[in-house]
Amino acid sequence: MYDICIIGSGAGGSPIAYELSNAGFKVVVLEKGAYYKEEDLTKDELAVSRRDKFTPPLWEQKHIINEYSASGNFTRYDGAKANWSFWNGSMVGGSSNLMSGYFHRMKPQDFELLSAYGEIKGANVVDWCISYEELESYYEKVERVIGVSGKIVPHKYLEPRSTPNFPYPMLETNGVTEWFDKACKELEFTPIPTPRAVLSQAALDRKGCVYSNFCGSYGCESGAKGSARAALLQKCSAKVITDAFVYKLEEKNGKVTKAHYYTKHKIPHIINAKIFVVAAQAIETSRLLLNSKSKVFPNGLANSSGELGKNLIFSAGGSGSGRFIFENLTKKQRETLMQPGLFFNRSLQDSYDYNDGCRIYKGGTVDFLFEHQNIISRVNRELYDENGNILWGEALAQKIEKRLKTSRLLTFEVFNDWLPTDNCSVSVDTQEKDKYGITVGVINLNSHPHDLEVGEYLAKQAVEVLEEMGAVEIEYSISSSPPPNLVAGGCRFGKDPKHSVLNKNCKAHDLENLYVTDASFMPTGGSVPYTWTIYANSFRVAEVIKKELLIL
Amino acid sequence: MQNFLHRRNFLKAGVLSSAVILTNGCSIFGITTSRDTIKVVQDDLFPKAKELGINTSNYISIIYRHHKIATEDKEFLKNGVKWLNETAHDRYQKHYTKLPDEKRQLVLQEIVTKKWGKNWVDSMMRYIFEAMLGDPIYGGNNHEAGWEWLAFTGGKPRAKRMYL
Repeated sequence: MYDICIIGSGAGGSPIAYELSNAGFKVVVLEKGAYYKEEDLTKDELAVSRRDKFTPPLWEQKHIINEYSASGNFTRYDGAKANWSFWNGSMVGGSSNLMSGYFHRMKPQDFELLSAYGEIKGANVVDWCISYEELESYYEKVERVIGVSGKIVPHKYLEPRSTPNFPYPMLETNGVTEWFDKACKELEFTPIPTPRAVLSQAALDRKGCVYSNFCGSYGCESGAKGSARAALLQKCSAKVITDAFVYKLEEKNGKVTKAHYYTKHKIPHIINAKIFVVAAQAIETSRLLLNSKSKVFPNGLANSSGELGKNLIFSAGGSGSGRFIFENLTKKQRETLMQPGLFFNRSLQDSYDYNDGCRIYKGGTVDFLFEHQNIISRVNRELYDENGNILWGEALAQKIEKRLKTSRLLTFEVFNDWLPTDNCSVSVDTQEKDKYGITVGVINLNSHPHDLEVGEYLAKQAVEVLEEMGAVEIEYSISSSPPPNLVAGGCRFGKDPKHSVLNKNCKAHDLENLYVTDASFMPTGGSVPYTWTIYANSFRVAEVIKKELLIL
Repeated sequence: MQNFLHRRNFLKAGVLSSAVILTNGCSIFGITTSRDTIKVVQDDLFPKAKELGINTSNYISIIYRHHKIATEDKEFLKNGVKWLNETAHDRYQKHYTKLPDEKRQLVLQEIVTKKWGKNWVDSMMRYIFEAMLGDPIYGGNNHEAGWEWLAFTGGKPRAKRMYL
């Protein structure tokens, strides 16, 4: 019997594996995907970006998606037929392998969204049951153990820190950041060097960044990126079993006793352990628990509250861009613009909250980055003219050549709160099954109109900066479409067992030995990407589990 | 072993080489293969590839056997060949491949006014770009000619084997 069985090897599960195995406990990690090591992580755009190498085919494993309108009606989509995927990195280390690693801490006010900003009609906003102060030391631990590079710049919303700066210096940046910093100064914004979960120099028995030009969406061949695999699983003795799709947790007398899993050829296996941790990423975590019904839990494991699967959230916001063209630049500026490899790494948090004249609203973060280097994607974007007519032949070739060789796109991404609502949740379908014969997850999607208003506000600030920098063709899109890689909620933590699935320590209220440590626990998401917070919280819970195992 | 390999290669080429039967709604007027038509239409859509010494049509056989591409998408590619030829026959009573350059362009201009035609040309263009600008290991992007055209340096490490 194992001391601890962890389902999912990403940012939520791996800190537990790392801490507990290094403390001498017998740990097993069950991962549905394959084990790709540094040498396997090639920059093959066709495999990674065009054919989605790291996610399962939708006709084998899909979701049903119910998209709600403002009136409360919904349209049902079969994910396979609609080609709508919510899968992320199905591999050891999970989607942390493929992240860009833009790392921002949540801020103190994110932990008390209700108290700080008040109710918003139609949104299930609550305060967290822990404070920023309780998580701060774990944010700091992530900086050291996962490896975060950057430079602290004082600004209005800089969160309190127990250390003066990051343990690793900033990554090298493209000279265009100087144009950005100058524009921000003119506009009285504070340009923030974006902290990255990427080592700028060799450390932690890992290499420093090699500036491959292919970071986001790709695995890191140098090990510089702080994936859960490179930073944690490869640094501990936890046993990782791949090709293990856990489809049911078995419960007896208030304890989980067994995890049942299938291999891809549907060969069944069982793992026994003293403690179980689920961290399969928010949607799949809720699906697993909902599918793990028993006599005691007819509506799904740990679901006596009826809250399991509820209040699913994503990161709200959108993206935009502005183009810098050679005609408007000096020779030196052109050379600077086209420097390959170096990062942009700038963020704005000047409006982490803002006053619209009536009340103070929670705002968010804008990250700036160069357009992804994927050459096929960039060329595909030139396929239509401004009237929507498809192009081909010599006219298209000339357009592509001019756009790619004499201009460059600077893009931005807006992150603001996706307010939790009743119609945004996970359930399981009554009919549809995946290739394993297990009922598929249903993703109910609903966004609060307030999310769009905040996103618009932030995007307009980003546009101001791009204009000041001299960019042209500036455009943006703030939408309610959910980013599948920025998902949280479904197993809220809280003090009241009637209104939450997990307690303060992310242990199920209903069971003695079941923890959930991916982003499912989050009742609200803050206005930043989630990964740093997932890592930090998982390190926090690891301390709790360690103490518990010592007395078992 | 050699016989096995021959058979496997034959099967891989099967979809491209198999006959596409052309009808005008009532009767059969001809037979063609996807390979013949795709080669000509890709040259028509993006002659730059040929100019760079890149053969994009062979890449379609990878698409036809790729496990991550839905059967519906593969069928659509094949059906597009049929419908393109039927449009050519409706207008000029000839297979697409037998028409002179300017008439083939007129056929392309006609089909993109229809939903299927626009989607089919869109798919074909995206596969042309995949062939031209994907890793050379896939057999298109001959000596990185596509990357060189756009002054692009492929990411490293490079693919060690094709992902099919």
